[in-house]
Amino acid sequence: MTLGDILKESWLSISGNKLRSFLTVLGIIIGVMAVVIMVAVGETVQKSITDQFSSLGTNTIVVRAGAARSRGVRMGNRQTLTITDAQQIRQLPDVSSITPAQSSSVQAIYGNKNWSTMLLGTYPDYTAIQDIEMDMGSFFDMNAVKNASTYAVIGPDTARELGLPDNPVGETIRIQHMPFVVLGVMKARGDSAFGSQDDMIIIPITTLKKRLQGSKFPDAVTMIALKIYQDADNAVVTDQISTLLRQRHRLKDDDEDDFQITDMKQIMETMDTVTGYLKLLLIAIAAVSLLVGSIGIMNMMLVSVVERTREIGVRKAVGAKEKVIIIQFLSESVLISFIGSMIGLILGVGLSQGVGRFILHYNVPFSIWPVVLSVSVAVIVGLASGVMPAIKAAKLNPIDSLRYE
Amino acid sequence: MKQEIVALKKVSKIFPLEIGGEQQVLFDISFTINSGEFVAIMGPSGSGKSTCMNIIGALDTANSGIYELYGKDITTMTDDELAVVRNEYIGFVFQNFNLLSKRNILDNVMLPLMYRGISVDDRNRRAREMLDLVGLKNFETYLPTQLSGGMKQRVAIARALSGNPKLILADEPTGSLDSKMGNEILRFFEKLNKDMGITIIMITHEFEIARYARRVIHIYDGHITFDGPVPKDETTLLKSEHKYKK
Repeated sequence: MTLGDILKESWLSISGNKLRSFLTVLGIIIGVMAVVIMVAVGETVQKSITDQFSSLGTNTIVVRAGAARSRGVRMGNRQTLTITDAQQIRQLPDVSSITPAQSSSVQAIYGNKNWSTMLLGTYPDYTAIQDIEMDMGSFFDMNAVKNASTYAVIGPDTARELGLPDNPVGETIRIQHMPFVVLGVMKARGDSAFGSQDDMIIIPITTLKKRLQGSKFPDAVTMIALKIYQDADNAVVTDQISTLLRQRHRLKDDDEDDFQITDMKQIMETMDTVTGYLKLLLIAIAAVSLLVGSIGIMNMMLVSVVERTREIGVRKAVGAKEKVIIIQFLSESVLISFIGSMIGLILGVGLSQGVGRFILHYNVPFSIWPVVLSVSVAVIVGLASGVMPAIKAAKLNPIDSLRYE
Repeated sequence: MKQEIVALKKVSKIFPLEIGGEQQVLFDISFTINSGEFVAIMGPSGSGKSTCMNIIGALDTANSGIYELYGKDITTMTDDELAVVRNEYIGFVFQNFNLLSKRNILDNVMLPLMYRGISVDDRNRRAREMLDLVGLKNFETYLPTQLSGGMKQRVAIARALSGNPKLILADEPTGSLDSKMGNEILRFFEKLNKDMGITIIMITHEFEIARYARRVIHIYDGHITFDGPVPKDETTLLKSEHKYKK
């Protein structure tokens, strides 16, 4: 009996009962489709999160201020990080760029239009840390920081919402009644993990602290963001920053840190693990429907063995060995499973890519492993669900089978 | 020269009963059948003739005694070895045809050849020859359900002949046919036996059918009561049963 004979016999048996075969195949189609879609959803979520963190760079470290404490007692709301801290951290050998940063929500006005947006005070190094590219004009330099100049760099959304002209460089906007000259417009970047960077105004940190806020502590900032060299070790730099800040803040050994260091690499690794588990969970849920589908195949094959008892008897009478009967029944279940898997794969990939591209406008990642998974599922589910019926068929006594009504 | 095809030597068969205990259906049966013979195994219902046929057809094995098919002792063979024996030596013709209803006529006739591992081309050629022989040359693509009872039985005969067997074993081959079609099939068996020298063993409970054979083995209650040329009437056979009647 050749492979062609086996496939022909299997196909004739399956196509001999079209409705039942279709319903059985449907179970596998739904199962595989669910798995493929869930894999796509999981990978999309994982990619989306990874992309957003990657846009910040894994070599980025963020230090956030905590409340000042003394002997475990919180000492008011004074921010613990300072611009001087940032300047000291800048001296560490692995730090390539650094900026102190503070943000607040403000109303910006241009002409008769006003717009609520986020105002960020930084150093020019912010462009290197956030990979900011300019669409028009330029970013302010360190002189502007030293002089607390009233220069503003704005996001493209902010420029649009304020009704600024196509080239707004040189235009004057008002932030909390203070006039600022637009120095440049950033390129559009889309949303990120930390909100839209296209809708914000960036000004020198000193301008924010001294001129706009008139702070009693003009040196204090809420955040210091820094980038380290690619070959530097995040953990080592994090330790160095921690030691330096503890010394500068005069913290005792048993004092808690009055700052928080967030290492993007560590966050990304954690997020990667979390999304990995999420993906596994989704696949596990989808796998249940696949299991139900495979039970459907086994059920159909068991019914088929009973219905075809006489046929099995005839085949045995004319010379079919047990092995041949087993192969025939197994190939039928594998073929059903294979057909279902392939249709499920095509539908699953088609739906996930189609919905992603045309409805969500998101590039859903396509990986090869749903294909590998589908083929494996076809073989494994087909074999697993076919083994019992096939053995049952092969063990039938030819005399009893021939007499079966 | 005549060759011994079937040789049963003191063959007994005992079946376990579902309610417990056992029942012996064949008692030390012995006979030989040579090539070219046309033998009818006759007997009333429950006489053991079907069990005898199952043993001759290698569908079942004896509990004791020896059964040699074409000189080979098949008494102790495994199921798979018996499958090979059936495929190579025996062609079956059943009362209810036993054709695969969802396969066309050609596929049905090719079935034994497929299990023998013969190439598709050779299978096709041989099956077409056999269909031509039984007068169904133009029915290759028909399904069994599209044929009359007589035609179905001719397909079954073509299938039995396709493997070029040493022996055709026909179990009540006219049981599902009307007398006209039945006679047609029996005449075809006669022709196969006379013209082609094919050995035929036919199981029947009707003397009128057994008359087409040239030798009758009469079984009653698991014993052979008569073995010889077909007698002129059934009385001889019925009288032979007396010895074993309780």
